Amino acid sequence: MSKEPSMGTPPPPQGLPPKGYTRARRATFFSLVGLGTFLGTWLLYIFLAEHGLRWCEIALLIVFIPLYYQLNNGFWTALIGVWLLNRPYPDPLDLWNTLSADDHKRPIDVSTAVIVPIYNEDVTRVYEGLRAIYLSLKETGQLESFDFFILSDSDDTNKWIEEEVAWLELCRQLEGFGKIFYRKRRKPINRKSGNVSDFCRRWGKRYRYTVVLDADSVMSGALITAMVRIMEKNAGIGILQTFPKQIGSETMLGRVMQFAQALYGPAFMAGLDYWQGGEANYWGHNAIIRLAPFIESCALPPLPGKEPFGGHILSHDFVEAALMRKAGYAVRLLRTSRGSYEEGPPTLVDMLKRDRRWCQGNMQHFWLLFAKGWHPMSRLNFFHGILSYASSVLWFLFLLLATFLAATPVEQADDKVALAEQLLLGLTITLIFLPKIVMLLDELFTGRLFKPLKLRMLTLMSCAGDTIIFTLMAPVLMIFHAQFVIYTILGKGVRWIAQRRKIDGGVDWRELFFTFGPIVLIGLIWTFIAFRVSAGFLLWISPILVSLILAMVIGAVVSSGRSGFRFGLFRIPEELEKPPEILQLESNLAEIKDRALTHPDLEKNFGLVQVFLDPYVNGLHVSLLRRRRNIHVSRDFLRELADRLIRQGPQALKKWELKSMIHDTDTVTDLHYRLWSAAEHDLAPFWSLAIKQYNLAKSSPFAHLLAQNEPLPLEALA
Amino acid sequence: MEAVNIQFAPGTGTEEEWNEAYARLADYFRSYRLHNRLRRTQLILETLRRAAEAHSKDASKTPTAHAIEQAKLKLHEWLGEIYSDLNLTDSQIAASGRLGFHLCDGPNRWPQFFLDRGNLPPDMTSAMRSAVRTSGPSMQVSKMTPRDIDLGRITEVAEGTFDTFERSPLFRYAALILFVSGVLSYFYWLLR
Repeated sequence: MSKEPSMGTPPPPQGLPPKGYTRARRATFFSLVGLGTFLGTWLLYIFLAEHGLRWCEIALLIVFIPLYYQLNNGFWTALIGVWLLNRPYPDPLDLWNTLSADDHKRPIDVSTAVIVPIYNEDVTRVYEGLRAIYLSLKETGQLESFDFFILSDSDDTNKWIEEEVAWLELCRQLEGFGKIFYRKRRKPINRKSGNVSDFCRRWGKRYRYTVVLDADSVMSGALITAMVRIMEKNAGIGILQTFPKQIGSETMLGRVMQFAQALYGPAFMAGLDYWQGGEANYWGHNAIIRLAPFIESCALPPLPGKEPFGGHILSHDFVEAALMRKAGYAVRLLRTSRGSYEEGPPTLVDMLKRDRRWCQGNMQHFWLLFAKGWHPMSRLNFFHGILSYASSVLWFLFLLLATFLAATPVEQADDKVALAEQLLLGLTITLIFLPKIVMLLDELFTGRLFKPLKLRMLTLMSCAGDTIIFTLMAPVLMIFHAQFVIYTILGKGVRWIAQRRKIDGGVDWRELFFTFGPIVLIGLIWTFIAFRVSAGFLLWISPILVSLILAMVIGAVVSSGRSGFRFGLFRIPEELEKPPEILQLESNLAEIKDRALTHPDLEKNFGLVQVFLDPYVNGLHVSLLRRRRNIHVSRDFLRELADRLIRQGPQALKKWELKSMIHDTDTVTDLHYRLWSAAEHDLAPFWSLAIKQYNLAKSSPFAHLLAQNEPLPLEALA
Repeated sequence: MEAVNIQFAPGTGTEEEWNEAYARLADYFRSYRLHNRLRRTQLILETLRRAAEAHSKDASKTPTAHAIEQAKLKLHEWLGEIYSDLNLTDSQIAASGRLGFHLCDGPNRWPQFFLDRGNLPPDMTSAMRSAVRTSGPSMQVSKMTPRDIDLGRITEVAEGTFDTFERSPLFRYAALILFVSGVLSYFYWLLR
């Protein structure tokens, strides 16, 4: 490890690391990465070039270089991270050092908005998460400086009504009127980034900072207030990103991912912070943003061409980070071990759906790679984002070319070549597995996650388990990611869909069959080819082929609820000692889970039932709607829709037809009375049932979505 | 509270129709979460009596429709009285008023005064008026205008290529077919 420049001064108050530090750190890091990449490439060259390079060997060498660069990048990030975690003196660039003990006690006198952009999410989860954050902030005594915004883009009418109902109930329970706000956009222009921009345009001037959350985010009040204080102390920071720890998973995949994140994440974060410095990335949530420069400089222009490669920027966060840096403000990572949480996808299929979106977003950054004015590190961040998916195509090509080379072998006489082959194999295995081993040893010796020896031993076993699972999943992910990249290039975009965050049933075998069937077929064909090529090659490539053939089984196993929890595997500290915010959240969610449902037909459209039948929900919805001008043009059309809704029920209307009705105040008010006035024979069976059942279904129109428990006592949370 | 004449003998409409109207009104007032049964019954009978008068003048509507319309009128009159000086439109009064009654816990605190225009307790009126809510703070509009990003020469060339791909699906799929045939030919060559 290179020696730090002897500056001896604390980091400057503005939060941009001194150039001397960042230059020295980057020189060290990229020298090591470059050296490792060069060494690997050189060994491969010796191995391939004994009889001169054929076209396929040149191609293999070309695809090998970025793959090996990526491998080295991860390797050195992790190792430097472990070193930083264990160094005897504190990192001078650690932002926590900018706060003194007095700073933590000082009252916060700047206004901050906590915003939660949502799109057709599980309403109970979103609002209970917000409640946990609200109460946690209240505990800090600094609640007065914070306002909360639920920014909805939901286009599912039932979700929309549920969101309004839950907002009112949450405000009522927390006495949060005038503090917790709800905003629904009529048109979800530019998706999430547009949602946040809309907030900035309407209310951005009222606040100095905004804490951006995802629908599944939970953050502690202590961390949020600390982030505001760090931003106050470091006026040069535009975006401060925390490390959101994945929690709350119930499936094998989710628990393995959250375990891996808990064990390896801190070192990777420290390593990233080491070489990214003031040009870190923004991940779109669990971060705090300085609003003035964000409004001034971070509006996103559309990209050239149409979607999926052009058009609206999907992965807005990287671009916003680059724009913020371009405006002269630092984007920093804040090393956090607790207080910032999120949830992950429960199944492999859900993970792939998310990756498909991310892939398209990252591939779009191709346009920005060569744009003028970026900080070189921002450009590198774009490149790494693209490479994270493009590397799957490269890996796939590498394996295809390797198959070709194995099928057309050349005589190897030179011992030097065999040695190079062995060294390359050894080096590659080291690059892949050494960081894991080092991080595991770090845990075993320091007990950073767990103090009891038994738990450390279980961590050792879990680490072996996660290595097996990720090794088996990697080839499957490679094929899918390669497919996503090719689809994006061919112009097949993705739709904006709500993410599933919990499994709502057992393993869906049909979904698994249609998703992974083609992968199994690829695996079988490739195995046949490898078998025909040679037994040695079959053995060499067998880890890949076994994964592909077992894709369906892997998909089923990792997506199941058998997650090793019973045996103490894949444990994370938050499972053993739950943070107060998570305890609050889980206790409330458990209360809701046991609540009796209404008739299944009504449950599906309960939002609609409420907005049209319940006088209070109807009143709430109309109160929150903005009155439209010049509606007379569509009045007849809305009346025709209303007639159809009464006589045929909601299933007779399309999604957009329902939406256009509940956007209109007069139609919503009118329908309330028309439904109650309609004679029995004029009503669709759905409404007939709804009118009879509604008053029996719920005791209060607003209470069914949120927990009614009193907040947990302080002793329980401590 | 208005005295209720329990005798109810509408001159028009069938018994079955008035029973249906009664049941619907009962459900409607229950949806206001009025747990005070006495007050609910009073309201139903009062409203039915007004509906019977209306039905005798206009029999083209069903008794149920008349009953709900009378309930709506009663509500508008009642809320109009409470929010008379708040400068709200009719639909705002209807929506905010209903919501206000719920938010101040009216169904539990003042069930006997619900829709009773002549008897408005000041604490109820004041609680309902203060419960008119907005969902967001007042706006302070900012301009957030995207600035063009100079994407550079390489991107221009790439943009041209992708434009060609986008404009011509044939060209796009020809490239894909070429790639797939190349791979298949390679396999064929391998296994020949």
